[in-house]
Amino acid sequence: MLKYLLVVLARDATSFCHYEAGGRRRGGADMIPLDRLEAAVLFALKNNLKVNFLYPGRRLGRAYDKLVESVDHVKIVPFAARSGHPGAILVVESSEIPGAADLAGLRGENFILRLRRADLPLLAAALKRLLPRAKRINVVLADVAGCGEAEYAEYRRQLEKILPEVLKLAARPDPPELNVLTDRLALGRMNNCEAGLAHLTVGPNGRLYLCPAFYYADPHESLGEIRGEIGIGNRRLLELKCAPICRICDAYQCKRCVFLNRALTLELNTPSAEQCRLAHVEREASRLYLGRLRESGSGEGLADIPEIAYQDPFDVAVEKKMSIADFKKL
Amino acid sequence: MSSVKNDPVKIETDRSWEASRSKNVTFVVTEDCQLRCRYCYMVGKNKAGRLKFDVARRAIDYLLGARDLVTEPSVVWDFIGGEPFLEVELIDRICDYFKVRAYELDHPWFERYRFSFSTNGLLYNDARVQRYIAKNSSHLSVQITVDGTRAKHDLQRVYPDGRGSYDDVARNIPRWLEQFPKSSTKVTVSSDDIPRIKESVLHLWGLGIKEVNINVVFEDVWKPGDDERFEAQLMALADETIDRRLYETRSCSFFSKTIGAPYVDNNNWCGAGRMLAVDHRGNFYPCVRFLGFSLQKRPALTIGNCLDGLDRNRLRPFLTLDMVSQSPEECLDCGVATGCAWCQGANYDFADTRTIFQRSVAICRMHKARVRANNYFWNRLGRKLGRDLRAEPRGGEGAGPC
Repeated sequence: MLKYLLVVLARDATSFCHYEAGGRRRGGADMIPLDRLEAAVLFALKNNLKVNFLYPGRRLGRAYDKLVESVDHVKIVPFAARSGHPGAILVVESSEIPGAADLAGLRGENFILRLRRADLPLLAAALKRLLPRAKRINVVLADVAGCGEAEYAEYRRQLEKILPEVLKLAARPDPPELNVLTDRLALGRMNNCEAGLAHLTVGPNGRLYLCPAFYYADPHESLGEIRGEIGIGNRRLLELKCAPICRICDAYQCKRCVFLNRALTLELNTPSAEQCRLAHVEREASRLYLGRLRESGSGEGLADIPEIAYQDPFDVAVEKKMSIADFKKL
Repeated sequence: MSSVKNDPVKIETDRSWEASRSKNVTFVVTEDCQLRCRYCYMVGKNKAGRLKFDVARRAIDYLLGARDLVTEPSVVWDFIGGEPFLEVELIDRICDYFKVRAYELDHPWFERYRFSFSTNGLLYNDARVQRYIAKNSSHLSVQITVDGTRAKHDLQRVYPDGRGSYDDVARNIPRWLEQFPKSSTKVTVSSDDIPRIKESVLHLWGLGIKEVNINVVFEDVWKPGDDERFEAQLMALADETIDRRLYETRSCSFFSKTIGAPYVDNNNWCGAGRMLAVDHRGNFYPCVRFLGFSLQKRPALTIGNCLDGLDRNRLRPFLTLDMVSQSPEECLDCGVATGCAWCQGANYDFADTRTIFQRSVAICRMHKARVRANNYFWNRLGRKLGRDLRAEPRGGEGAGPC
């Protein structure tokens, strides 16, 4: 069931996930047309949808602001453009980690840290700087394709390195959440992105997409115009039950990004080795964190994260097919 | 007169060599063919797409070297086209190269390999082809496609000018059966062929081809009433087979003990992805149906190439594909589901979106018709022989030829 709508206000709006946004076209109409934005807002109002507006690093103008404010929403803005957007989710690029002065005065923020492979060795340091200011941090690896053993090992090292800091902050009355470390502890089932199921995206051309990544990959591959009935071909392939690898997996914090799935394996319902391996590095780090929490006398009520012998659930899925009876229970 | 207890029942087709234990590698040696068969899925035939020895050599080198990914204990090298025997000298070089390299590398495949051909049979008596056969006969299987009677064969298997090819193929059959007495042929049934099924299977058996692999096309070509006509043909074939005791020495893949039950296993029907096809550019494909010239709507789907090797990520959907993830609810609940086939390449080509996870149900009514006729066959034969044949161990395997 649709719960919210993402609206990409301009072609150069910030990316908040595994895709790269487009640049501004010189003299090009790269802002969402007002009538299309109005249609998106109306669609949200009529379908009880919250809207996430993706902002570029510039002002849009009064007419745009007025429409944005006419609906329940969240703003996602580049860190540098945070002024004038209190309560917005702030996107931080790992190549531009804010300095202490920039962070001064910030409290209880929601950050998205877009991490590049080249910056992996800086992850723990970046988190150490952001965590005290954060209510929540979502770490997103921007360039997943091509990750190998060196990257998995570095990612593991960095998560283990930040663990004491997260543990220290856990004693706070309002401990910050770190998606790749703390989410798995609170989850008893998959908590994926659910593009196409829980949310859709309106691109800056005013057309609908499964998520912003699909717009940037190919603007022509849209789901069509904003209207009452939205047809997604083979929609079932977005669902967990039709994903043979994911439905047997317990890396519940994984985004199960259908865009990366399709980009790397050509199928919406099949994750790449990179996605699975990274999610299992996070799962293992979460298991370690849970152990430390318990050692420190907290963590009561949290379910165990079992130790497993594999790093990629593909190895399990390929060995043993789910029974028909079990499939029907899903 | 022998007791009924000893009546042999041969009707089910035998398992293939090293069934499911071997790596099946298909070299598409040419995209050209002398024929323009009307039902052929290779819709883009051309003279330009010819495999070069160097590309084949690289592919063999890669496959012999990639022991972590290619773990099967044996190999079947399939040569197809188009028409593979158009390139028999190239094939001979490829086979020699494989044998030498496998020996040099002390690769287990040196002891366990076969060369396999699906041919239209027109060049079977060509001296170069015969030289190749003589040289490799102990590791060779050759299947000539004869579609049945002249009328049925010439309805579909025609030259570019529309002439039928039956006579040109039929004259080569005696020599083929002399050299490969256990050979089978593969028959494809489309809508127009239905009235000729019975006579065609009997005709092929009469020619001395003891094993007839036959299947309906997977494309959505079926017209209203085709299923009833199909059922009637199979029942007539069943009667003839039983009355003339042909079941003792002949087999036809339409009749099988294992079809027509609800699903128990959640296995994929097709081996795409576990097999491998190589084209003239050195690209790897999950099977030949994923090459550009086999597809009508979708782009070619590669899973690597002979320089970079297999793309493990692109293999993941194929290796985890199961029946439940691609089938509509009606198939999961079908009471006669087993034996209902599909082709992953055709599914991909005709799916609503670009996916291998949407099973085509175009043959649903045809499968149900086959099941009814198959039940009739086994029940009639069982009564004749005085025993429940379907309770006995089966001879053949569920998945038929594709």
